[in-house]
Formats: sequence, structure tokens, C-alpha cells
Amino acid sequence: MTLTILNAVLFSVVLLLAVGFYGLLITRNLIKIVVVLQTLVKAAIMALVLAGNTSGNPGLGQSAAATVLVADTVVAVVALALAVQVRRRAGTLDIARISTLRG
Amino acid sequence: MNPTLFPWMIAVPLGVSPLVYLVGRLGVGLNFRFRFAQALALLALLATWAVFALSLGQFTAQKAILPFGLEMIWLTADGLSFLLAAMVLGLGTFAVLFSGPYIAGEIGEEKYYAMLLAIMGIMIGLGCANDLFNLWVWFEAMAVSSYLLVAFYRERSASLEAGMKYLVQSAIGSVLVLLGISLVLGQFGTLDMDKIRALAATSAAGGLGLALAGALFIIGFGVKVAFVPLHTWLPDAHSQAPSGISAMLSGVVIEAGLVAMLRALSTLGGFSISWGVLLLVFGALNMFFGNFMALRQTQIKRMLAYSSLSHIGYILIGLGITLFNGEPAGAQGAAFHLFNHMLMKGLAFFAVGALMFALLDKNGIHRPLEIGDLAGAARKYPLAALTLSIALLALGGLPPLAGFMSKWQIFVAGFQGSNAWLMGLAIFAAFNSVLSLAYYAPLVNMLYRRKVSVVVEQGASIPVSMSIPLVALAAAIVAIGLWPALMNGLTEPAALAFLGMFGK
Repeated sequence: MTLTILNAVLFSVVLLLAVGFYGLLITRNLIKIVVVLQTLVKAAIMALVLAGNTSGNPGLGQSAAATVLVADTVVAVVALALAVQVRRRAGTLDIARISTLRG
Repeated sequence: MNPTLFPWMIAVPLGVSPLVYLVGRLGVGLNFRFRFAQALALLALLATWAVFALSLGQFTAQKAILPFGLEMIWLTADGLSFLLAAMVLGLGTFAVLFSGPYIAGEIGEEKYYAMLLAIMGIMIGLGCANDLFNLWVWFEAMAVSSYLLVAFYRERSASLEAGMKYLVQSAIGSVLVLLGISLVLGQFGTLDMDKIRALAATSAAGGLGLALAGALFIIGFGVKVAFVPLHTWLPDAHSQAPSGISAMLSGVVIEAGLVAMLRALSTLGGFSISWGVLLLVFGALNMFFGNFMALRQTQIKRMLAYSSLSHIGYILIGLGITLFNGEPAGAQGAAFHLFNHMLMKGLAFFAVGALMFALLDKNGIHRPLEIGDLAGAARKYPLAALTLSIALLALGGLPPLAGFMSKWQIFVAGFQGSNAWLMGLAIFAAFNSVLSLAYYAPLVNMLYRRKVSVVVEQGASIPVSMSIPLVALAAAIVAIGLWPALMNGLTEPAALAFLGMFGK
């Protein structure tokens, strides 16, 4: 496997996914969870661009990627707004300490 | 040739939603007593109903899928779209009506109706999407609006926690769906579902990539549909949201996720038997686990949330049977049960919400309603208790009610073609249905045969606008139970659309 640009992009998609999922497992801070989710979505965006390029339809992949950027920003805004409210009500961002709903 | 009407079912609620917010904002600012935002939302829904009726007429007259394209938006209306639209409108109208007194005076009341209207338009759009990426955009828009509605009580930390949990799990799911979409795009170079379907059916190569994409779709959308290992957000979100939203989430939103999953899976072709087996396995798991967990709950809304899991199980079994043996009967039963579950679970959440409003919220107590709180409630609230009992008994599948008819169709479909595995599953489903009575019946007993509890004695009265949805939905459950053929006009095209999607 030679290091072409496509391979490098593929490698970074896999790396970002690995970092993201590892981060989800170890993170307990709500803000950091939002950052980790962003990492995962960035991997998906690169995957879309890559898929558009390899299948000979780069415009489609790129326009999809741009749309995902917008949608993903909305999700991040909502998540951060919720995190702010959680910090105000519970006084902490640690998910282990705010968790009350079980069973 | 008449102009295509069905896109207006999406455009009207989505277009009116910002207006509803503006009107609500003005109403809050000027301190009107009359709820203008709610009235405007109801008007918009009436208009949408009219469009729905007209375009359903167009659809049945033409006997063909209606296409529509605008720039990058590709929509088609088939039987499944109309079934979903009927469910969304049916429950949404009552949810708007019900929520009037329920959320009056809460912070952000004016945003509530706008969001509710928007999510309804989005879900109708999701049912019509005919492009894999469009489908994802509708799905994500639905998810974002439902996060906000779940975390509506932003001053309560339990509600925030439920919203956050829902957001994180759903967001991971949608990333997985995107990865699946990029696999499909990389393979075929198009996102149009019809083209992908045609290409996937002819090309023998690339089976592994498609199987992986299918697995990603199942896990990604499965978070929203609450497939069993991925369900943990559901009981929290359903129990912490305002009751109107709990009804919408349980009755329509998870079903919309299921429709999205079926549409995405159906494009991949060639694997329909194995997808069928997967749906059957998840169906069995959901049924059993949902019932088992519901048995252990003491909070009513949590119990109803777990019972949603088991009802999704019956629906999956129906769909799986059709994919397995190619007969439309299972899918028709599943479509029927989708609609009935919307009625039954919607009514159950509305009735519990009305009681919760009268017993707790009106007296300034903010805690979940426990089963014990309802002891003897039938004496003081005969209407709410009667409608809640109808909903619970229908959910448990007692004969003359709607829930029995659709479950029966699914069981019968399992026995067609005499495959031992399918028959076993149908028996297992029937066994689960009996098991579920073990938690519905004690609640009915509690309502009617116990001494009146202190909470009930101190309870306030239930407003009329909350009682209207209860009566209407209960009447629909009884009517459909007595004349199940009423629904054939919606369920038959839906089953045919389902078979058509999977190329049978």
C-alpha cells in the first residue's frame, strides 16, 4: 500500500474514528464529550469526500460534506447549550456525578 | 394532470413553524390570556390535514408513486409515506391540543408549539425522502428538534440529563449512518435510492462493503428505533419529557426512525433474507427485554416507555416475517400495529399526563408519577381512568380492542407457509403479549379497586381541552378494534410499498 493522497485520507478517517471512540470511552466531562463527538463527525465528513472522489463523483461527496458541517454545528450548539444548563443546575460537568436516572 | 400536492404536507407545517414562534413571542410579551401560538399551530395542522386528504386521493386514484424534485431535494410519496404522515398528523394534532394547559406558564412555552410543528413537518418529509443523503438530513433534523423537546424543562436536572443522554447516543448513531452512506457512495457514485437499488441488484461484486454499510445502518438508525442493546436513552427521555412529547416520541418518532432504517436498508438489495433474520432476532430481543424491564418499574411513564420497546418488537417481527417469506401479510400486520401503537401509546401517555398534571403539577409538585399514586383514581377522574384502562388493555392485546387485531394479523402471518422457526416466534410473541398483561392489569386494578390515595384526594380537576384527545383516541381504538378493515386503505399500500422497496 503506497502512500497516495487517497490512502492518506483513508488512514486519517480511521485514525479520527479510533481517537473518537477511545475518547468516548474515557471521557466523563460533558464539554469534552461534545469535542469527541465533533471528532467523530469530522471523520464521517472526510469519509464522504473520499467516497465522492473514489467513485468519480466528487461534487456530490463535497456538497454532502458541507451539509453535514452545518447539521453538525447545530448539534454542537444544542449540546453545549444543554451542558451550560447542566452546569448551572448541578454545579458540575462530570457525568458520573449528575447521573440520577437508572433502571 | 393535477399538480403534485404532497410536498405541501411538508411545506405547510415547516413554513408556519417560525410564524408560530413569532406569534407566541408577541403573546408572551403582551401577556395575552388566549394562546395564539397554539391556535395558529392547530390551524396549520388543519390545512395539512386537507392537503393530506387531497394527496391521498391523488395517490389512490393514480395507483403509483408520486415523485417530486426541487434542486437537490428528491421526494416520493408511496404507501409507507402516507402511513407515516397519517400517524404524525393524527397524534400531532392531539398533542398540540393536549399541551395547552399542560405547558402553560412554563419557560419557553412559545418555542414548544413551533418545535412541535417543525418536527411534524420534518417527519412527514422523512417518510417521503428518496435520496440517501436527504434521508440523513431529515433524520438529523428530527433528532435535533427532539433533543430540544426532551430537555424542555430546562430548570430540572433530570430532564437535562435525559436530553444529554439522548443527544450523545443519537449523535453517535448518526455518525455511523454517515459512514454507511459514504460506503454506498464510494461503491456506486450516486445517492439516489432508485439508482442504488438498481445497481445493487445487478452487481454481484462488493458484497462485503454493502453488508458493512447495512450493519452500520442497522446500528446507527437502531439507536433511534431503540433496538435492545442501544435503547438506554429511551426510558429516560420518555419519562422526563413533557407528556405531549412523550406521546409523540413513543408513538411517532421511533417509528419514523424505523421507516428511515427500512428505506436505507432496502437500497442495498440482495440481502433481504438476512436482513429479515436480523429484524426477527432484534424483534424477539426487544419484546422480551421490554416486557421484562416494564415489569420492574414503579414509575408509570417509565413503564410505558419500556412497553414501547416490546411493541417495536412486534412490529419488527411482522416486517421480518415478510422479508423472510415474501408474503405481504406480515408487513401489513406490522403497518397496522404501527398505526395502532401510535393510538394506544399516545392515549396512554396523554391519560397519564392528564392525571400527572391534575395530581402533581397543578399542586406544584414536580416528581414522576408512581403507580401507587393512582390508587382509586377512577372515583375522582372517571374519564381519565376509563381511557387509560382502554389504552392499557389494548396495549396488552385484549380482544375487542385495536391492539389485539394488529397483533393477531402478525401472529397469523407467522403461521403462513408453515416454517417452524416463524411459527415458534409467533408463539413467543403471543406468550409475550400475555406476559405484558402482568404489568398492565395491576395498574387497571389500582385505578378501580383500591382505596382513594391522599394524592388523588388533593388533586385538581382535568381541563376540557385535555379530555378531548383522550375521548377521541379511545373512540378510535374501540372503533378500529370492532372494524379493523377501516385501516386497510392505509396499511395495504404501505405493505406493498415495503415489498416493492425490497424488490419482491
